[in-house]
Amino acid sequence: MMVSFWRSVATVSVVLATTAVHADAASQEASNRLAREIYAQLIEINTTDSVGNVTTAAEAMAKRFRAAGFPAADVQLLGPRENKKNLVVRLRGSGAHKPVLLLGHLDVVEAPREDWATDPFRLVEKDGYFYGRGTIDMKNGDAIMVATLLQMKQEGYQPSRDLILALTADEEAGTANGVQWLFRNHPELVAAEFAINLDDWSIPMVNGKALVLNLDATEKLYADYQLAVTNPGGHSSEPVADNAIYTLTTGLNRFAAYEFPFELNAVTRAYYQRRATVETGQRAADMRAVLEESPDPQAIRRLTQNAQDRWITHTTCIPTRLAAGHANNALPQRAEAVINCRILPGHSPEEVRQQLITALANPQIQVRYIAADGKVLPTAPAAGALPPARVLPEVLDPLQKIAQQIWPQIAVIPFMAIGASDAVYAMAGGVPTYTFGAVTYNPDDARAHGRDERLAVDAFYKENELVNRYLRAITAH
Amino acid sequence: MRLGNLTVCAALALGAWAAGNAAAGDSAADTASNRLAREIFRELTEINTSDSLGSVTAASEAMARRFRNAGFPAADVVIAGGPNEKKKNLVVRVHGSGQHKPVLLLGHLDVVEARREDWTTDPYRFVERDGYFYGRGASDTKENDAIMVAALLRMKQEGFRPDRDIILALTADEEGGCCNGVDWLLKNRRELIDADFVINTDGWSVRSEKGVPIMFELGATEKLYGDYYLSVINRGGHSSEPRADNAIYELSQALLNLSKYQFPFELNNVSRPYFERLAALAAPQRAADIRGILQTPPDAAAVARLSREPSDNAVMRTNCVATMLGGGHAPNALPQAAHAIVNCRILPGHSLQEVREQLIKVINDPQVSVRFVTYAGKVTEQDPGYRSFAPPPLRPEVLEPLDRIVASLWPHIPVFPSMSAGASDAIYTNAAGMPTYGISGIAIDVDDVRAHGRDERVGVAAFYTGNTFFYRYLKAIASP
Repeated sequence: MMVSFWRSVATVSVVLATTAVHADAASQEASNRLAREIYAQLIEINTTDSVGNVTTAAEAMAKRFRAAGFPAADVQLLGPRENKKNLVVRLRGSGAHKPVLLLGHLDVVEAPREDWATDPFRLVEKDGYFYGRGTIDMKNGDAIMVATLLQMKQEGYQPSRDLILALTADEEAGTANGVQWLFRNHPELVAAEFAINLDDWSIPMVNGKALVLNLDATEKLYADYQLAVTNPGGHSSEPVADNAIYTLTTGLNRFAAYEFPFELNAVTRAYYQRRATVETGQRAADMRAVLEESPDPQAIRRLTQNAQDRWITHTTCIPTRLAAGHANNALPQRAEAVINCRILPGHSPEEVRQQLITALANPQIQVRYIAADGKVLPTAPAAGALPPARVLPEVLDPLQKIAQQIWPQIAVIPFMAIGASDAVYAMAGGVPTYTFGAVTYNPDDARAHGRDERLAVDAFYKENELVNRYLRAITAH
Repeated sequence: MRLGNLTVCAALALGAWAAGNAAAGDSAADTASNRLAREIFRELTEINTSDSLGSVTAASEAMARRFRNAGFPAADVVIAGGPNEKKKNLVVRVHGSGQHKPVLLLGHLDVVEARREDWTTDPYRFVERDGYFYGRGASDTKENDAIMVAALLRMKQEGFRPDRDIILALTADEEGGCCNGVDWLLKNRRELIDADFVINTDGWSVRSEKGVPIMFELGATEKLYGDYYLSVINRGGHSSEPRADNAIYELSQALLNLSKYQFPFELNNVSRPYFERLAALAAPQRAADIRGILQTPPDAAAVARLSREPSDNAVMRTNCVATMLGGGHAPNALPQAAHAIVNCRILPGHSLQEVREQLIKVINDPQVSVRFVTYAGKVTEQDPGYRSFAPPPLRPEVLEPLDRIVASLWPHIPVFPSMSAGASDAIYTNAAGMPTYGISGIAIDVDDVRAHGRDERVGVAAFYTGNTFFYRYLKAIASP
C-alpha cells in the first residue's frame, strides 16, 4: 500500500517538494528493503549451538557497519569462544543522556531439516509469511535493529545518547551466554541507563485485533531439571517388572496431571487491571474477579482455560527431552528426561525441585538441577527471581504513542514475560531491561522453537516501522 | 521321546561315572587348556567389538594369528566378509577323515554396546574378581568363542584327527548392525561353512539356581526377534507455553498401556515337554504350579504365579519390552518428536505383523505410529518377513554324546530340549537347511543373567567347566 502511494505521488511531476510524510514513506520503504535483506542473510547463517556459528553472523553484521562508515573502534567482535563471538556496535550520540543498550541474540534453537516443510536455514516467503528458523525468535529483531542503525548513520542522524547494539550468543542454549559474558568481562561496553531487548512477541491478536502490547518488566525464572532412573538392565529376552523406561514414563504420566497453584504478583495484577479494560463480557468480569481478596475459584477456572492466562498465573513445568537405553535388545540401564520449568518470580528453583519430587512420587526417580553450563547438580539454587524493575516513563510513553500510530486501539501494558530472556543478565548487571517484540501473532499458532517457525510479512514490516520510530523517539533531543 | 530321554539319562548314570573317572587322567591337559582358554578370553574381551566403535575384524585377525601360529594351513584360516572393513568373519577348518559330513561350530564375536559410566569396571578390560570374569561379552559370547578356539588349538596340538571336518565360524553382527556374518557367509561363501548340522554356542545351556546346576538346556527352537519403532510427532513450540498435547506425554501413555499388557499364555511342542520335565525336578509349590499350567484349561492362578519368574514367563508367551527412548531437540522447546524402541520376542508360529497389530491395539492411540525395524536397523512400514522356524529333529549323534558328557560333569542333571527366549544366528542356518542346536557348557544362575546389561560376568569355575565340557563334547561328536 505504501509502495503504490509513493509511486502515484512520484508520477505527478508537479510535486515541488517532498513533504515529511512522503520522505517517511520513502525512507520506510528503503528501510524495509534493507531489513528484509539483512533478515534473509541472518536466517541463512546457521547459528544453532550444535553445528552453527554465531561468529559468522556477528562478522557479517560487523562488515555492514564498517562498510557504512562506523569507526572500527565502535564495531567490536568479542567472546569467549571462536564460534560464539558477540558483536557490540556503538552509534555515538551527543551525550545529553546516558546510553541505551539494545539487545538481540543471534543464536537460534536447533531445527532438524526432516521436521520442517522448508529448509529452516533458508528465508522462504510464502502465502504472506516469512518461514525459517529464527523468523520470530529473533532474527527479525536483530535485522531490524541493524537496519535502523545503518539507516541512522546514512542519514547522519545524531541521537541524544549513545545507542549501543549488542548481538549475542547462547541465549537459547550453550554455555557462552553473550550478555552475561559482556557484563562480566566488558561492562564499560554495555553500561547503559536502560536496555531494550527485542526478544519477544508482544501483540496477541484478540478476535483479529491488536489491542495490547505487552511490555515485559519482569519474567519467569527458567530452570531445567534432569529426571533419571537407573536399573541393572539385562537381556531383553527375559523382561523383568522393574524397567527404567516404565518407571520414568509412569512418573511422567502422573506428572502430566499435576498443576502448580494459581498466583498473582505486582506486575501480573497491574496487567489484569489494565487488560480488563480492553476485554469485554465474562472475560473482563473474570479478570476483575481474580483480582479480589479471595478470588472466585470459578472465575480462576474459566480464566485459566485460556492457555496464555494459565501460563501467566502458574509456574509451569513440561518434559522436553527423553533418552533411554543403550541397545535395542537390552533392558535399559538408564532412562532420563529433561523437565523445563518456568517459575513465577518469588519462587526458587529448589522449591520447584521439591514440588517435582512430590508430584513424581517415586524415590526411584532422581530429580536433579541442570545449571546454565549444563552441569547436573543434586540441588537447585535456593534464591528466587529478582524483583520487577520500575517501568520508566521515558520507555513506556513513547512506545504507547508510536504503537498507537500503527495500531490505533492498542494499549501498552506492563507484563511478566513467561519465557526467559537475556534480560535476566542485563538486570543483574544493574541495567533495567524492558523486553518486547512489536509483532502481532496468533496465540494459537506459536511456532518459535517449533517446526515451520514463521512471521507474517506484514508483521515484520510493521515491527520495523515501530522500532525505527521508537529508537528515534527515545534518542530525540 | 520325552520318557525316552529321561530313561537315557538314568541308564547312562553308570557310564557317566566311568567317564568322570577317565577324565581325571586328563586333568593336566585340561588345566593347560583352561589357561589357554582364559588367555584367549582375555584377548577377545579387550578387543572392543561393539557396533559403534569396535571392530569385529580385529578380533577375527587376532584369532586367525593364533591358528596360523599353531600350524593351521593358511587356506584353512579364512577371513571373509562384505565390504565393511570392521565386520570381517573368521572361518577355520579342521580336516577330518571324511567319514561323515562336516559339523559347523558357530559363535559371534560382536558384543552389545557398553558404556563405561554404567559399569563398575571398564567393560573392555578383562577383570577377574571374587570368582567371576567381568567384561562385555563375558557371557555373550566371548567365553564360548574362547572355548571353541581353545578346543581346536588343543586338538591340533594333540594331533587329533576327527571323523568329519570341524568348521569354526566366528562372526559379526549377531547383536544387530549392517552385516550379519552368518547371513553373509550363507549367501556368499556357503562352501566355507556348509555342514551336516550346526552347534551354536551362543547361550548358556546349564541352568542353575542359587549356584546349583539343575538342568542342561539343549536349544531346539527359539523365539522370533522383532523390534518396533513407536513414534509420536507434534508441532512443538516454545516450552514456556506448554500445552496438553505433548509428544513425550503421549508416548509415555502408550508405554504405560504396554507395560500393563501381557500377551496370551501359550505352550508349544517344545515348551510343553520342557515344563513337563521341569515339574519332576522343581520344588513342591513350583512343581504344582507347573502342573497347573499344563492342565487343560490351564490354571490361571498358576500361570500368574509362574509369569512373575522372568525366565518362565519368557517361555510361556510372546514378550515385548521398551528398551530405548528418545525425544525432544532442546531443553527449552516442546518436543516435536518422541520415539521408543519396543523389543519383542515372539513365540514360534506368530508373525511380526500379528504382533504389530496387537501393539497398536494395546497402545490404542492413533497418534502413536508403530513401525517395524529390520535387523539392519531400518525403520519400515513393510513387514520385513522374518519367520520363526520349526524345531529340527533331535539327532542321536548330537543327543547321545551330549547326555553322556553332561552326566560326567554335572551328575544327576537332565538334558532338556528347550525353546530359547533369545534369538540367535540359528535363524539363518536353520533357514538354510542346516539343523542347528544350541549347546554350551556355561552355567548361569537364573537370577544373575547380565548379558546385554551392566557388569556382565561369568563364573570362573563355570568357565573352566564349560571349557572341559566343550572339548569333550566336540571330540565325542567327531570321533570315529
